[in-house]
Amino acid sequence: MSGAVGREAVFPTRQSLGLMKNKLKGAEIGHSLLKRKSEALTKRFREITRRIDEAKQKMGRVMQIAAFSLAEVSYAVGGDIGYQIQESAKQARFRVRAKQENVSGVLLPSFESYTQDGVNDFGLTGLGKGGQQIQRCRETYARAVETLVELASLQTAFLILDEVIKVVNRRVNAIEHVIIPRTENTIKYINSELDELDREEFYRLKKVSGKKKRDVAAADAAILAARQRAAEEQAANPEAASKAPPAKEEESTDVLGENEDNDVIF
Amino acid sequence: MEGLFFNVNGGYVEGIVRGYRNSLLSGQNYSNLTQCETIDDVKLQLAPSYGDFLASLPPNPSTSDLAGRMMDKLVSEFKYLTAQATGSSAEFLEYMKYGYMIDNVALLITGTLHGRELKPLLERCHPLGWFETLPALISATNIEELYNIVLIETPLAAYFKDSLSHQDLDELNIEIVRNTLYKNYLEDFHHFITTHPDFRGSPTQDVMAEILQFEADRRSINITLNSFGTDLSKSERANLYPQIGKLYPEGNYMLGKADDVEGVALAVSAVADYKAFFDAVGLSQGGGLGGMGGGPADGKSLEDLFYQKEMELSKLIFTRQFTPAVVYGWMKLKEQEIRNVTWISECIAQNQKERIGNFISVF
Repeated sequence: MSGAVGREAVFPTRQSLGLMKNKLKGAEIGHSLLKRKSEALTKRFREITRRIDEAKQKMGRVMQIAAFSLAEVSYAVGGDIGYQIQESAKQARFRVRAKQENVSGVLLPSFESYTQDGVNDFGLTGLGKGGQQIQRCRETYARAVETLVELASLQTAFLILDEVIKVVNRRVNAIEHVIIPRTENTIKYINSELDELDREEFYRLKKVSGKKKRDVAAADAAILAARQRAAEEQAANPEAASKAPPAKEEESTDVLGENEDNDVIF
Repeated sequence: MEGLFFNVNGGYVEGIVRGYRNSLLSGQNYSNLTQCETIDDVKLQLAPSYGDFLASLPPNPSTSDLAGRMMDKLVSEFKYLTAQATGSSAEFLEYMKYGYMIDNVALLITGTLHGRELKPLLERCHPLGWFETLPALISATNIEELYNIVLIETPLAAYFKDSLSHQDLDELNIEIVRNTLYKNYLEDFHHFITTHPDFRGSPTQDVMAEILQFEADRRSINITLNSFGTDLSKSERANLYPQIGKLYPEGNYMLGKADDVEGVALAVSAVADYKAFFDAVGLSQGGGLGGMGGGPADGKSLEDLFYQKEMELSKLIFTRQFTPAVVYGWMKLKEQEIRNVTWISECIAQNQKERIGNFISVF
């Protein structure tokens, strides 16, 4: 291929012209579909970006409250309860479920959080003092984790959508700037080749007819010469039937005329 | 008369503690602290009383580092006191340490139960609850061995022996174990100061009995409040109430039967102090569990009021003379001071100044 936009390596036949025309049509339909898909995805993408922004700001607030409630716990308990809590937590109370969402053919994972109410592993922590603060801190942190989960699902969708939008846009561009021009080029090429062939054929036929004319003229001349000789011989001998050759000559010009007509039609 | 010979053995310790008391932060110091913009400022404000201990902290230390250093100072002062104390005063100081020992042993029990490496846990142990044979506990590989070692090696054996078996350690929640031990400890401490010949009828008995009874009541009330919504049964709960205090026996019995906050409020209504607390935080009017943490109007929770009361009792100890109880009071005040400073620096670090005044200062 020469340059960015060349043409496809096809034989310039009528069949491949038909193929190319179909291909061009397909490419145009595909282009408009992909364009629409990309627009839908971009719309979604913007929405997600906006929601990420909201979620991040919310996360900032929630995490601050949560960290502060932890400070309250350490004030009330007056010591480090981290180890005890780590050791007594055996089952997850806060769980995450993953779902899939279909946005114009793209599968986006979305996480959904829920709490297992029966699980309360460190419910007795701080029994002597600070228990209420610990429970409250846990609730605050559960809310914080909820926000984090929401943010995580948005971020994942963000990354996946970003990737998909890039791919789709690349395809749109490829179709728009490469495939369609190239197919058009190919069609042009085939058309020009076919025209060329037509002209060649025409020229060839003309040549053929010209040659035939020459041949006929030569044959006529030969016949004429033969007749003249014969006439001279006849003149030397008895003179008879000298009118026939001119009639024959007229017939042969008629044939030539017919030939020419045929050519034109052809 | 009781003070006649006290100074022979206990005078030095008492004098030292009274000196320590003067370095406790006053209301003026606290109001300076709340004006601080950064932890560095806090550090600077604390310099007069904590100078050498804070000096090695890097600029803008974390609040936990800060609290750690303050605790270091408390520990080193307390160690000095224990080294100086003799006779019954020394015994008294030993008793003060048992509460921290219980925490440490509970920590090690937790580690053993979950099959953790125990060595790193030693570093997490409270330095005040350190005793010589504590490292021996980490040699235990299962809970039965640990139980035996605790019985043999630790001063807490008496608290384990009658109320807990090694199966209990395995089956019961560690919090229940801890609170059982603490109950036994409070009762034993109370018994000690009311029966020991040096303390019987002395100011020590007066002030310590009051403060221990208060501590016992506070635990009973807290345990009851915190057990709502958990799977702790009423009989188990009743076993955790210390059998001393103003609430014992009727109040404890009613606490054992209480199903909700109102039940608790009813149980404590016989004691004017506690009734006032419950009224102050609005629990007796059916405020519900939701408002328990920090809902009340003036931002004080029940816990805060208890701390306030404890601090006032501790402060009152200093009005008495010829008693090692001042050490107890000083230590409680100091611990509260560390909590206060942690709270203040936490508020500063997290930029949440609106609740910075939530500390308890009695001087």
